Amino acid sequence: MKPVSSENLNRRAFLSKLGLGVGALSLPEITIASGRNAQGTHHQPRAKQLLMIYCTGALSQLETFDYKPQLIARDGKPFEGGPKVTFQGENGNLAAPRFAFRPRGECGKMTSDLLPHIGALADEICFIHSMKSKTNTHGSGENVMSTGFRLDGFPSLGAWLTYALGSTRDDLPAYVTIPDPRGVPQASVNNWGPGFLPTMFQGTPFSSTRPIRNLARPNGISETSDRQARELLRNLNEDHLRRFKNDDKLLARMASHQLAEKMQRSIPEIRDLSKEPASVLSLYGADDTSNKTKASFARNCILARRLIEKGVRFVQVFNGAYAMGEGVGNWDGHRFLEKQYKIHGPILDQPVAAMLTDLKRRGLLDQTLVVFCTEFGRMPMFQKGATGRDHNDDGFTCWMAGAGVKAPFTYGATDEFGYRAVENVVTVHDFHATILHILGLDHERLTHYHDGFTRRLTDVHGRVVGDILA
Amino acid sequence: MPCTSANSNPKQSGIASFGLAMCLAAPLLAQTSRTQHWSFHPVQTTERTTGQITELAEILDTLISKRRTAANLTSSPPADRHTLIRRLYLDVHGLPPTTEQIASFVSDEQPDAYARLVDQVLTSPRYGERWAQHWLDIVRYADTTGFEVNTPRATAWPYRDWVIRSLNNDLPYDKFVFEQIAGNAPGSKLVHDHVAATGFLVAGPAVLVGQIGKDEPSRRQAQQDRLDEIIKATGSTFLGLTVGCARCHDHKFDPVSQKDYYAMQAVFAGVRYEQRPIPKADNTHQLANIQAHIASLQQQLDAFEPIAIVSQSGKRASKQSQSTPPVPQLRRPVTATRNIERLKPIEARFLRFKVLATNSGHEPCIDELEVYSATSDTSPSKNVALASAGARATSSGNYANNPKHRLPHIHDNKYGNGRSWISNTKGSGWVVIEFANQVIIDRVVWGRDRNRRFSDRLATQYEIAVANEPGKWQIVSTSSDRSSGKSAPPHPNVQAKNLTRDLGAAESKFAALTKQSFVFAGQFTPNPKPAHFLYRGNPMAPREVITPAIPSVFGAPRITHTVEHERRAAFARWITSEDNPLTSRVISNRIWQHHFGIGLVDTPSDFGAAGQKPSHPKLLNWMARVLMDSNWSLKHLHRIILSSATYRQGSQPRSNALRTDSTNRLLWRFTPRRLEAEVIRDSVLASSGALDFRMGGPGFSLFVPNTNYVRVYVPKTKWTPDTFRRMIYAHKVRMEQGGVFGAFDCPDAGQMAPKRSRSTTALQSLNLFNSTFIIQQAEILARDIDTTKRSNAARVRQAFRRVLGRVPSDSESRKSTDLVAKHGLSALCRVLFNTNEFLVLP
Repeated sequence: MKPVSSENLNRRAFLSKLGLGVGALSLPEITIASGRNAQGTHHQPRAKQLLMIYCTGALSQLETFDYKPQLIARDGKPFEGGPKVTFQGENGNLAAPRFAFRPRGECGKMTSDLLPHIGALADEICFIHSMKSKTNTHGSGENVMSTGFRLDGFPSLGAWLTYALGSTRDDLPAYVTIPDPRGVPQASVNNWGPGFLPTMFQGTPFSSTRPIRNLARPNGISETSDRQARELLRNLNEDHLRRFKNDDKLLARMASHQLAEKMQRSIPEIRDLSKEPASVLSLYGADDTSNKTKASFARNCILARRLIEKGVRFVQVFNGAYAMGEGVGNWDGHRFLEKQYKIHGPILDQPVAAMLTDLKRRGLLDQTLVVFCTEFGRMPMFQKGATGRDHNDDGFTCWMAGAGVKAPFTYGATDEFGYRAVENVVTVHDFHATILHILGLDHERLTHYHDGFTRRLTDVHGRVVGDILA
Repeated sequence: MPCTSANSNPKQSGIASFGLAMCLAAPLLAQTSRTQHWSFHPVQTTERTTGQITELAEILDTLISKRRTAANLTSSPPADRHTLIRRLYLDVHGLPPTTEQIASFVSDEQPDAYARLVDQVLTSPRYGERWAQHWLDIVRYADTTGFEVNTPRATAWPYRDWVIRSLNNDLPYDKFVFEQIAGNAPGSKLVHDHVAATGFLVAGPAVLVGQIGKDEPSRRQAQQDRLDEIIKATGSTFLGLTVGCARCHDHKFDPVSQKDYYAMQAVFAGVRYEQRPIPKADNTHQLANIQAHIASLQQQLDAFEPIAIVSQSGKRASKQSQSTPPVPQLRRPVTATRNIERLKPIEARFLRFKVLATNSGHEPCIDELEVYSATSDTSPSKNVALASAGARATSSGNYANNPKHRLPHIHDNKYGNGRSWISNTKGSGWVVIEFANQVIIDRVVWGRDRNRRFSDRLATQYEIAVANEPGKWQIVSTSSDRSSGKSAPPHPNVQAKNLTRDLGAAESKFAALTKQSFVFAGQFTPNPKPAHFLYRGNPMAPREVITPAIPSVFGAPRITHTVEHERRAAFARWITSEDNPLTSRVISNRIWQHHFGIGLVDTPSDFGAAGQKPSHPKLLNWMARVLMDSNWSLKHLHRIILSSATYRQGSQPRSNALRTDSTNRLLWRFTPRRLEAEVIRDSVLASSGALDFRMGGPGFSLFVPNTNYVRVYVPKTKWTPDTFRRMIYAHKVRMEQGGVFGAFDCPDAGQMAPKRSRSTTALQSLNLFNSTFIIQQAEILARDIDTTKRSNAARVRQAFRRVLGRVPSDSESRKSTDLVAKHGLSALCRVLFNTNEFLVLP
């Protein structure tokens, strides 16, 4: 091994910045000492990893976690002082939640019968009922929740995290995003895109049903042909490299081929659930033959746990896809909310609850922050002539669990009907600042200059919600 | 909106080490100190700005060498010719030189060999295709709207083509700018050439109208966001000013107040994100020619139609008598577009068309009833039913009170539903045409709607009769010998087949020439609502009315025009004025940036106090002056840069120089850099020989077709030759990445991208090594080389030439031949497409 020179140190910093990891790169020209997490955090992190469950289409706070007795009492009555016209148009009267609430967990938290498995874990959860977003449009709303901005083109939370913290492994992406089996979310890549950060920091989308593009050896090319082709490529590149005196960028590209090779082995391995015991499959509901979507989503949740187990920095699991007819692909219940939620509830409930349980029993919740979110909430009244609720960005519920947060805990509140966040309001910027804080990052110092602006995930806003920190 | 701290180093990305770098916490600079900022100074130079290219290139080299020498660095020896030609082509065309071009340059011993090569690359249309991409990055051009539905903007591409064309024509940069901001002046003669230019204004993402919330805050917010996109883009693109900063408060570093922002908004308040019709050039003459051609073809083709057969009773004879030999040919079924009745020549003064039934049961409609005289020695066949030929029309009754459907329309020589006759009786009605004179006729042609839009109200049962005296009708044709099939069988006769084909082609050409086409280049409200100052940028908190103006720091007079277009024109005139200190500097820097990989100012869209200072301020001033003094010719600037010794240096690293200046800001060598996604893809196609050089038009898609209202973009994995065009013609889908090359830092067209990152990732490696695209191109290249029988070593040599533009070394040849012997030539081609050498601008 060469002595560590300043040049080697630069190279090491450079490579780790590329997200290439700093594992053993056995190139002849360079030996890089093994090391993890090369980039620093701003302070001692409370969690090392992040697992996010993202419900697309705007999950109703009123049918799930935000218990409002007054809304039940005033069912069918006009909403005095409420908004006449909202996103889709005119509204009708106040409408009680379509699902009954009952106390759950030791703490007795009131949650609804729509998501009984998640509700049963109330003791593990820190509920935030006072969320506020900046738009009532889905695409822009997903952008806000994922990037902090309504507009297209900003880096996602995951890209910021990867940018700041780098990768913990060199055979798996630092940031994996798992789309719903029914399809990608509405704002698609925006939710895991790099924005103006280099593309290396974007989420890599794959799931239990969907492989990584171009990962496998191409059809019609034998294993030996493939191996010898790689060998020749390495040889040609080494000759070329000598002419350019070990240029870092050329070296990095050569290292990227090695990482790609490693991923060709590690990704199929991690996607292969065949060695998961039957008990695990049934805990998640992955063996539910009566509900294929649920079983597929459950497999995605098992995959997420496996990725967290392997140390992947950020795993994002989507529940709900793009709009394929109103309320069909996701939680967007404008017209027939009860009917639609009876389809979506069972898909979400057991697998997510099982994932939490599974992480906990494996000790992974001690180092993993779990975040459950949606782009915004829904109105306390039904839309005129319908039995569903319109968009509402003034009050909705998200929750966190695991490392860094108090549980059981409830923070913030909406008004008596669950319409507006009125107590301890948490903006999406605050939400992001808090997530970054738990992961050891100061949201005001995590910046990137682009096109005249020093950009942040939290724009010029955001405060860490200290009250929910464990 | 966050702005950057004045003392933070923009190169310092990642965890900012300077603490808070945000607008609200940053110190306010005094207005006076802000106007003294370098980029606001007049553009001045003491050097010569006109003269021979070689002289100007020497001035450039001198301006570079001063700083370099001061740092005790020397330039690198000139690059060898192989490297130089490869660099030049990849840089200027985004394509590698062909083996022939390399051979010819390398062996050219004339002293002006390189100068001629530079001329050659700058005159090629490949130049516009390459440099347009840089421009489209800046203005975040895309072929979709963005946001969740991300609907295609099917008529955005003429703007992309306009940029390519303008660069190729070396449209003076001041005009290039003017047309984008204020093109489409009503009555302007340039309207046709530059109609797409204002595509710039609406190039950004916008929430579709149907996706905006119906509540007031949502609607106002959407409108503000749309205008903000225009203002941000105008400020950054042309002026290098981050005007968007002032949406919510006065700019903290640059002399742009919040009031200036809303004054700019007032300039653009009339712009709507819509497409508009492209005015047509006058092609009356051409259309008349095609019409005459169509008529002639039609007449020739009509001669192949069987003559209508009518029995005494008006029924087809064959139905009455089984014994009549042989069964005559059934005529084609009735169509809504055009029907021909061939008659035995017969003399007539009157012709009656009587409808007995319609397909929809409604009152019958005929758009035009034509009756042709038989061709004779003295006169050609002509339509004698026309009112203009003296014919008169009467009818059983006319559809009431509809200006589209009137009796005179039946013989006005105009086709289509809008110029047709409809009867006033359901399922029936008749029209009589009285000719000017008794005439021998042999054809009747009629239709319901020749423009192919309507097919109801079609006469399915009818009879045609002629008379020489009123009342003495003789039936000459009926619907009874027409087949009842849906469509006509093809003509069995070869000549008729050819005529049909020619007719189809002529009709398509006519349709294309008469079709109204559109361009997504904005619509303009002549008298937009007044713009208001918005408190903290909140659309629900409007304050006083703000009139249009140029940012006050520039001391330009207020814009007093009330006409919408005049406001934009005044603004554009100010931007393109030679007194504007920013415009010429910003574009000169962009040109430099794309030749050398980094601008003299490394914040190419931010020349404000928060941006970087130029590494060579005198050079930047000089280039800006040279540009203006050459009547804003961008090609002139390119030519000077490309001719300089600075550009022609070798790219080999030197350790001592690396220690002093690792990022090569002092230009002690040419910095090699990884090629952009488009260049890699285009170069692969060029090397394999599959590249389709067709320019312009709607382009092709990298994604599988999808029609869901929230578009789902799944990357293609099968590639047909229509996708082998240059990547600039690929539909740019906002936010989505193409399956193979998106990973190579393609900007997503969400935000403006004045410079690209150049990352290196495992996904890039996987895409380039394993994608069906690369495998297919490797096979195409291998097949192409294999067409002549050669030894493996010769095939290897040819593959190296085609992909890397050089012959392999002995050891490269040995190793490669070994792979080819075992796994075929395509295995080697796949490897070559993945080499660092192929992927780097040398």
